[in-house]
Amino acid sequence: MRELVLDCLRAVRAPLTAILLTLALGFVLVSAIADDPVRAYRDLLFANFDSLGNFALFLNRATPLTLIALGVIFSFRAGIFNVGGEGQLYAGAIATTIVGVTFTSLPALLLFPLALIAGILAGAFLGWIPAVLKVRFAVDEVVTTLMLNIIVLLFTSYLANQVIRDPTSYGAVSRVLPEAIWLPALPGMRGATSGIVIAVVLACLTWVVLFRTEWGAQLRAAGTNLRFARSVGIPADRRIITAMLIAGGFGGLAGTLYVLGIGHRFEQNFSPDYGLVGLTCALLARIHPIGALATAIFYAMMINGSAYMQISTDVPRSLVDLLTGLLVLLMTARLARKGQRA
Amino acid sequence: MTAVSLLSSVLEQSAPIVLAALAAMITLRANILNVAVEGMMLVGAFVAIAVGDATGSAPLAFLAALVASIAMSQLLAVMTLRFSADFIVAGLGINLLAAGGSLFALEWFYRSPGGLRPVSFPDLWHVPAGSLSFIPVLGPAIEGQSIVVLLAFLAVPACAVFLYRTPTGAYLRAAGEDEHAARSAGIKVGQMKALSLAISGLLAGLAGAQLSMDKLHFFLPDMTSGRGFIGLAATLFGGGQPWITAAASVLFGFFGALGDRLQAFAIPSQFVLMLPYVAAIVGLTAARWRAHVRNRPARMARPKET
Amino acid sequence: MSAPGGDGTVPSPLASRSGIAVDDQDEILKLSAIAKMFGDKAALKHVDIRVRRGEVHVICGENGAGKSTLMNILAGIHQPDGGTINLNGKDVTIADPIAASRLGIGMVHQHFALVPSMSVAENVFLGRHPRRLGLFSDRRAMVERTRELIDRYGFGLDPETPVRSLSVGQRQRVEILKALAFDAELLILDEPTAVLTPPEVDELIEVIAGLRQRGRTILFITHKLREVKAVSDRVTVIRHGESISTYPTAVVSEADIARDMVGRNVFLVGRGAQSKPRDFGAPVLGLKNVSVTDASGRLLLNDISFAVRAGEIVGIAGVDGNGQTELAEAIVGLIDIQAGSIELAGKDITTATVPMRQQAGMGFVPEDRLDRGLSVTMSIAENLAASNYQRAGLESHGLVVMSRCTAFAEEKIAEFDVRGARPAMPVGWLSGGNMQKVVIARELNRDPALLVICQPTRGLDIGAAEFIYARIMAAADRGRAVLLISSELSEIFALSDRIGVMYSGQLLDMLERSRADEVTIGALMNGARIEAA
Repeated sequence: MRELVLDCLRAVRAPLTAILLTLALGFVLVSAIADDPVRAYRDLLFANFDSLGNFALFLNRATPLTLIALGVIFSFRAGIFNVGGEGQLYAGAIATTIVGVTFTSLPALLLFPLALIAGILAGAFLGWIPAVLKVRFAVDEVVTTLMLNIIVLLFTSYLANQVIRDPTSYGAVSRVLPEAIWLPALPGMRGATSGIVIAVVLACLTWVVLFRTEWGAQLRAAGTNLRFARSVGIPADRRIITAMLIAGGFGGLAGTLYVLGIGHRFEQNFSPDYGLVGLTCALLARIHPIGALATAIFYAMMINGSAYMQISTDVPRSLVDLLTGLLVLLMTARLARKGQRA
Repeated sequence: MTAVSLLSSVLEQSAPIVLAALAAMITLRANILNVAVEGMMLVGAFVAIAVGDATGSAPLAFLAALVASIAMSQLLAVMTLRFSADFIVAGLGINLLAAGGSLFALEWFYRSPGGLRPVSFPDLWHVPAGSLSFIPVLGPAIEGQSIVVLLAFLAVPACAVFLYRTPTGAYLRAAGEDEHAARSAGIKVGQMKALSLAISGLLAGLAGAQLSMDKLHFFLPDMTSGRGFIGLAATLFGGGQPWITAAASVLFGFFGALGDRLQAFAIPSQFVLMLPYVAAIVGLTAARWRAHVRNRPARMARPKET
Repeated sequence: MSAPGGDGTVPSPLASRSGIAVDDQDEILKLSAIAKMFGDKAALKHVDIRVRRGEVHVICGENGAGKSTLMNILAGIHQPDGGTINLNGKDVTIADPIAASRLGIGMVHQHFALVPSMSVAENVFLGRHPRRLGLFSDRRAMVERTRELIDRYGFGLDPETPVRSLSVGQRQRVEILKALAFDAELLILDEPTAVLTPPEVDELIEVIAGLRQRGRTILFITHKLREVKAVSDRVTVIRHGESISTYPTAVVSEADIARDMVGRNVFLVGRGAQSKPRDFGAPVLGLKNVSVTDASGRLLLNDISFAVRAGEIVGIAGVDGNGQTELAEAIVGLIDIQAGSIELAGKDITTATVPMRQQAGMGFVPEDRLDRGLSVTMSIAENLAASNYQRAGLESHGLVVMSRCTAFAEEKIAEFDVRGARPAMPVGWLSGGNMQKVVIARELNRDPALLVICQPTRGLDIGAAEFIYARIMAAADRGRAVLLISSELSEIFALSDRIGVMYSGQLLDMLERSRADEVTIGALMNGARIEAA
């Protein structure tokens, strides 16, 4: 048990430097332009805790980010450079919405699991395509996931605009899901999705599966040295494909939980690039699930807090986008070449 | 008359895609999958409008766009080649930085998050009307096009000549195809990659300038709307060959120009817009499939290991 | 600088037992007392070589004798830690590969440095294209000058063919052309025949003769004795980082060279030494007419049949690259076979997957521990556990129990004397010998009925090697079948009950240990049939 705690502490420590560096960079920038940089920063990070409502919105940001980061962790641990989080997220969201608004006559007890499974399967399918192309024909997964992102976004745009559109609202927005299948809010916190509980549970579960099962060890072996994995008798190709199915499923689940628990309908622009930010969270945490939970929470604080910052000070909220860009650009860099080992 | 107007709009629509595709192609030949074309284009588009607005000079705005875009490419080069950052991650970082940075500038300096629309804006040089009417169809279609559109189509042979007819181009290809061979021939592989990124920045800057300066004279956040990725798709589809890449870009531009009109025939525009990306995946898979079939032993004793 | 843990051989001071007065000759290259350390391991201790202008000089030695290090020093890739390089009468430092070619040293590496999509001419002039109008490549000049070189040396190539469509032998000639285009006086060929088919080797030997006729000096690195005789004027043998002897080829026998290469007293005490007769059990591994072809249809394994019985160690000798790797991978299930069948303990496993074969009782120690043997970023405990979770009982209710993993790793670390190891440490932090112990500990833990073990002591010091030998022999004594694949003859002799030799994809012969000697096996390794020996 002590070991487990230590391991988790280590995982959280890893991204700390990168986060502090970003915050410092941002503070320099804010100091240069704002009259009250401390106030701006306080709001950016801590206005999330000012009211229950703010806190609820912050939790709603953290949920999809965590899930996407977990998906990315599965794929990266299996050695697949999956940048398709955004597409998997949208696929899950749209599939859930379609099921939800189409089979409204079904009882909620049936419709809810159906919508949930549809979302997960849609995401998993999107993870399966690049995995199979990679394993069978060595097609570069970066390209396929990148291209699939755009394809899915266009496809959902078509569905949202032409097929399941709510004619009474403005923009590409679907009809609202029947209230009976909405995910209940967190007890005692109106507006906060209970999806966050699922995300936290899944983060722990991911850690157990990856680091405390033989299956996880085999997956990581395939990801770190494929030829080694094959030589010691690990069915590596199968592990890689399964990892991508899970990765896509997590992305899909993120979209599903957004629709069921937060948006209650599909909106074409519901994601402020959750896919890429989720990838960022995973990489910042050195692809460790517990660490990713921490980075996702941090990012949710920033994204949500930026709105409060913009209201209370005159610092634009796009500061966060700028900082994210800087962070992503910098985070895989190494300051010095690795020292030689004898 | 309709053929001329269609051709003219295809030329205009495909110019930024051709440029973006060439920008991705030149780095692909140096073995870099450049996902940052989109971001570099956006920076070019923004700086063109910002500088044009401030100085009132079209050449200055144009030049500034190129410089800014090349600067972005070299930022990427420094991060990846000097500080060994991952190309994909850092490239996506460039895109985020460009989007976030331009939005931040809009909100902070111009106080208009919706976009930057200068009241008056200097015009680029356009091919004068009637000057080419002696060429049937093509002449009138070129008339009225801006200099950037002309440059875009001149860039195709220029890139081909550079890659296949100059020593530097050959060294760049060698650096991309086999680093070991290039290095042992005394070629500085890192420099070649940085050079390919710089050229990529130049071409992306041209594309960005064309988007914002040519007809519109304003900048919108996200105004590149995925053209950088269409270019990347065209390059991947064309396997890094300049002429095939350019042809694919024009085709994709053609579908883009056609997209809205097709809606009349009950084909949703989104499906037309999807084509480049589907084509890229199918093209890559087909190329691998051919290699796979060719390399398969005469008789498979058993299925591939799982 | 103290020479660490030698093997007890007394270095014979120097060179030339030939009696020819060396000083009269025009020497293009003089290497004196060259030494090179990697970490605290001496790759070269003391190398003296004199190369005369216009001769073909072979440098001959076993794997790991220091040949490649020596070549890399001459090519400017490594800097020596001691000694001098004298070229054309002047002491020189070769700072980098470019400096080497400026000094007139042309290297032809074992791994070609060619760009496949470019033509022969473009490859020859890569990095120094002639220019037209200061801007464009002068393709015509490139082609013309390449054709000139091709014609002068009779290479029979078309300068405009893309390298992609050339055979391996032709590609090698392009590499030689590159060196010649730089006006290399001294050409160094590093194991040039390793990648060639026998007819291509003959062609290469002709090419070399032609080069010598036109006044080039050639330094030829090899460990194949037959080539030494075929190609060279003189030969220098190096062993364990020291130059042992130099002979005129005409007056020396293959046996003499072989003796100097191997050294008499490097044999470790092994099974072969104890000559008590053994009883072996039933066949555990059986191959019948196994053939494997590569993507281009070339035969990598040609109709191989043999069996390994319980309690028996069968050694497969051979020069690297004659199909041994493919043989191991075919048996283990990593590559498909196109013909024949494989049996394990009486069951047909021809189409079984790797995991199925391992379930059926197969263990595998691959030739390259970093490539296939370990995942260097994962911990020692995880590398040890990789295929042992069930057998070692490391799980409970489907979850891995960390304390058991740690205990298991500690037990194995102690049992196999893995030095400087902690269970949670990345295995990549260990030295080569200790990494190899981890691989062997993992594979032996399952006590497989058949152990396929490749190059078990490559790059290891004597102490670690002895330890591993003891483990292999103990497995055989417990009644396990062992297939040992090694290019170290001493290893094969130390361990094997029967010895087979691979040559260009064929298993030439299978001899009882008592009937095999170095001369016979050495001849077989060079492709001679047993009748010829």
